[in-house]
Amino acid sequence: MKNSALLSIRNLKTYFQVRGGVLKAVDDVSLTIDQGETLGLVGESGCGKSVTASSIMGLIPMPPGFMAGGEIVFEGEDLLKARESRMRQIRGSKISMIFQEPMTSLNPVFTVGDQVAEVIALHEKLSRKEIRERVIESFRLVRIPAPESRISDYPHQMSGGMRQRVMIAMALACHPKLMIADEPTTALDVTIQAQILELMDNLKSETGASILFITHDLGVIAEMAQKVAVMYAGKVMEAADAETLFSEPRHPYTLGLMRSIPVVGLDKKQRRLITIPGSVPSLFSLPQGCLFHERCAEGRKECGLVEPPMIDLGKGHIVRCHKVNPKPQQESWNHGSRES
Amino acid sequence: MSNSDVPKISTWARITNPEDRHPFFDQIEKLFKNKTGVAGLIIIACFALAAILAPWISPHDPVENALYDQLKPPVWQEGGATKNLLGTDDLGRDLLSRLIHGARVSLTLGVVSVGIALVFGSFLGAIAGYNKGWLDNLIMRFMDIVLAFPHILLAIVIVAYLGPGLRNAMMAIGIINIPRFARIVRASVMDEYEKDYVTAARAAGARDLRIIFNAILPNCMAPIIVQASLGFGAAILDAAGLSFLGLGAQPPTPEWGAMIAEGRAMILRAWWVMTFPGVAILLAVLGFNLLGDGLRDALDPRLRD
Repeated sequence: MKNSALLSIRNLKTYFQVRGGVLKAVDDVSLTIDQGETLGLVGESGCGKSVTASSIMGLIPMPPGFMAGGEIVFEGEDLLKARESRMRQIRGSKISMIFQEPMTSLNPVFTVGDQVAEVIALHEKLSRKEIRERVIESFRLVRIPAPESRISDYPHQMSGGMRQRVMIAMALACHPKLMIADEPTTALDVTIQAQILELMDNLKSETGASILFITHDLGVIAEMAQKVAVMYAGKVMEAADAETLFSEPRHPYTLGLMRSIPVVGLDKKQRRLITIPGSVPSLFSLPQGCLFHERCAEGRKECGLVEPPMIDLGKGHIVRCHKVNPKPQQESWNHGSRES
Repeated sequence: MSNSDVPKISTWARITNPEDRHPFFDQIEKLFKNKTGVAGLIIIACFALAAILAPWISPHDPVENALYDQLKPPVWQEGGATKNLLGTDDLGRDLLSRLIHGARVSLTLGVVSVGIALVFGSFLGAIAGYNKGWLDNLIMRFMDIVLAFPHILLAIVIVAYLGPGLRNAMMAIGIINIPRFARIVRASVMDEYEKDYVTAARAAGARDLRIIFNAILPNCMAPIIVQASLGFGAAILDAAGLSFLGLGAQPPTPEWGAMIAEGRAMILRAWWVMTFPGVAILLAVLGFNLLGDGLRDALDPRLRD
């Protein structure tokens, strides 16, 4: 498993030093992405999804941020130990990123073609003409019609969907191994959203790039990802392959997220959405014990006291919950029984 | 972009697609709709034309003495002659010619000193705005110190150190104007810094200097252009002040401020020697200020309708 992993994050801890103390934005997160695989990272706003992405890219502002521990191994290289100059080589060429807002993530004073060209010029020594060819080729790859004339458009002349295509073209321009998509469809309307998702899915199989897909939309994840990790308040709560997670979610939080997806076509009694009560705890004052226990419908006594460990259910399905965990106690019983 | 859905009424009008225009042209158009801006532009164009064509349009050599034509009044006054339309000074030099050549001096001076202030001020301001923290503090506190000095006093100090002369006056004026540019650029860089395209540039592997100068600064051009235009007027005024004090242009250079100083002694006998250079300074500074205001209206997105 270790050999095939393109990226493996182990026990990543990204903290921020702030006036009120230390803010644990990402706390002990472990993820692996294999070659050509899409990993979906789900969670509410502020749960640490984007900070995880920035940590991989080495874009955490330091200070106030600091890496309290863990490692991010990409193609056998620990990115947290890499020099800034090495990180610059990797950014954009081996790992690239797609952002949430295609409106603001393109520079308004340059043509879109020039902006894609900039990324290529940063990483490869090519002549102007060759770069132009590459830009047109990448525009064609993301299905922008009439790329030869479109490259000289300014961002404000394009629609949101087109701009996101440009962003994807920019991310793919140097044939990266890994694309990090940070809520790439959140700012788009639903029909465009579907187009972009389909495009990304096709591109993944065409280019063989892996994708780390960050979103709060479980529906999108179901469509895109082979593996899913659910994050809550800086920690991974549950992770499994997509099929398992959607068919048999074990963590009450995952279950809650799934129940709160609206479904069209149910009658009035069923139509009422089930919400998760309460709100995400402030990272300044995290609850003792399980981070979720205050909002959990199935909370028990120990949930407010002891933080549940990560439990391996086999086949890569891991859960952080006391409910599914009779194991530690079992172990101690076994211990006792063996002695007697 | 096919325009198949647009009925082809007039093929001849489609030489350029109006949508393919750089937003810059919209702003230029907006400037031309602004009356004060256009007025400023016209005034400056007149001065620029006079400066460029000075050797050909000035009726006399600006430094040539004519001992028999001393203190001739302008043509509409009693004793005036068409030979010297605006009269002569105490050495018989033609005032109109001196004014025209003076436009050369003043505009060059404006370009050089604003250039110095713009280049160094933008550089320092951009660095400060991008690196929040000790470097920002260091640069901006130093700029505050420079700003705390009275404007002209600091220029005098610098010129006194470098030695009087037009070149040193330009440098001094450039230096005292650096903080203005630094402040404006810093503020707009800090604004732009928050935008996603900066993060995107970083995620693409660009280094900091490239991000600052290639990605951020082009987005800060509007306030820089406005400040440059206003700075032009201020620089001309400051230079005139320095020359008046004898620290700027040295005789016989036809500099407006120096001309005022020369005419000061005979204000009661020959008012025109001092008045016309003063009017020239006023018009030039007014022109640049009007243009600056017009540019601000045209370029500032917050003032846009």
